[in-house]
Amino acid sequence: MLLATALPAFAQGCPEDTLGDGATRINKDGQTIAYRTLPAKIPVGKPFAVEVIACIDGKPPTGIRMDAGMPMHGHGMNYTPEKKDMGPGHARFDGLVFHMPGKWMFTFDLYDGTERKRTMQAIRVRP
Amino acid sequence: MIRAVVLLAAVVALLQPPPAAAADGALTWTDDERALILSHGPWPPKIAPDPSNRVSGDDDAIAFGRALFESATLSRDRNASCATCHNPGLAFSDGLKRGVAIAEVDRNTPSLFNMRLNRWYGWGGKSDSLWAQSIPPFLDQRELALPPERLRDRIAADAELAAGYRRTFGREVADVAPEAAMVDVAKALAAFQETLVSPRTAFDDFRDALAANDSDGMAAYPAAAQRGLKMFIGRGQCVFCHFGPNFTNGEFGNIGLGHFMSPGRVDKGRYGGIELLRENPFNLLGDYNDDPDRTTAGFTRLVRQSQKTWGEFRVPSLRNVAHTAPYMHDGSLATLEDVVHHYSEIDENRLHQDGEKILKRLDLTDREVADMVTFLKTL
Repeated sequence: MLLATALPAFAQGCPEDTLGDGATRINKDGQTIAYRTLPAKIPVGKPFAVEVIACIDGKPPTGIRMDAGMPMHGHGMNYTPEKKDMGPGHARFDGLVFHMPGKWMFTFDLYDGTERKRTMQAIRVRP
Repeated sequence: MIRAVVLLAAVVALLQPPPAAAADGALTWTDDERALILSHGPWPPKIAPDPSNRVSGDDDAIAFGRALFESATLSRDRNASCATCHNPGLAFSDGLKRGVAIAEVDRNTPSLFNMRLNRWYGWGGKSDSLWAQSIPPFLDQRELALPPERLRDRIAADAELAAGYRRTFGREVADVAPEAAMVDVAKALAAFQETLVSPRTAFDDFRDALAANDSDGMAAYPAAAQRGLKMFIGRGQCVFCHFGPNFTNGEFGNIGLGHFMSPGRVDKGRYGGIELLRENPFNLLGDYNDDPDRTTAGFTRLVRQSQKTWGEFRVPSLRNVAHTAPYMHDGSLATLEDVVHHYSEIDENRLHQDGEKILKRLDLTDREVADMVTFLKTL
């Protein structure tokens, strides 16, 4: 169902209305990223997923990667998210765990061939 | 004129009570502080059966596991049991710097209370289930030293234990392959250990009173403990790791302790724990997991081994902490005062360069140390 709603938006170029009202959208330097966390409220210390739809200059990137960390604490997550490709420019990452409350940072890497474009997004996780 | 206004403002500020204290001297709590405090409960928690263990929560398994736990038959020389190191009278720990059954082991004996809430077991997290963690003591020559075949045969030869096995698993232990019998024994032991939940404490009463806006209930919690709590969730930044109802995030940290188990023997901590986990045939990715869907195996599959994990050790629960001295993975700190002083005067040069950056010297006053200890004793 989700895939069905997401793909038409890509046919138009970029993820304008995908992932529903709970999605966060980032527009930066020709990149458009829409993502949502599953569940919507990130639980501290428990696994959650992130679904991402992205494009660069109106086209799906050739690859998407994501990670997260706590810059103020100088560390990342203790687990490596598992990526599942869901279509052009569309991926889901399972197994993220924020093992502390506080300020985290999502890192989205979009690839245009061998070129990487990085976008960071701050997240505050409360108990 | 501006200087006068500033001076007047300073005088007025001095006449105000400290921001964290109400006019009657009781501490006040911000919304963020309240949310953090409430997140440390409710207690006791709901304990769900472990899907990787088919006898988790089973009454026969719990009774059999208790009998196994207390039986000295299950040690090489028939003179030690699980309860030797996990003494019920000492919060299921042993009061020693490092555990001793047949010989001294490398690390401090952890309490067994609230084990079901853990994600990882052992100071380095070498096991991903309570039943898997119940196997190594049989195999370690310094602990029970009873290899699988002898373990199975000892149970088969003991009428009471053999009957307990039969009731729990519906078959004769003598008919089971040694390794499978050992895993069954570990699962019964885990079923028993899952029932070990620490009782409610003064902190729990305070936390519930705060949730209910019960000022009388809150006032019953000692002022020193409240000040310690405020430090714990505030300037001390303890709450980042000691988080949630069990006062642990279930993960690992490097807090600048010694790296040697004995001269020349480095304790790799979590780094070594992940190595052992991955080669462990009893991990949740293996054939002994009773859950065909491997619903709890994700952490094992995705755990990330990095340089940062060198010298990290499991963040222990702080529940019952007053009863589990000495402290740390190596038992190197004798008292809670020593623990608080360790953090207050932490040597940042000893911390891993990839480690937790929020660990900074606190330089607590004597009263602040005493407040923290008072708070910890209420957990």
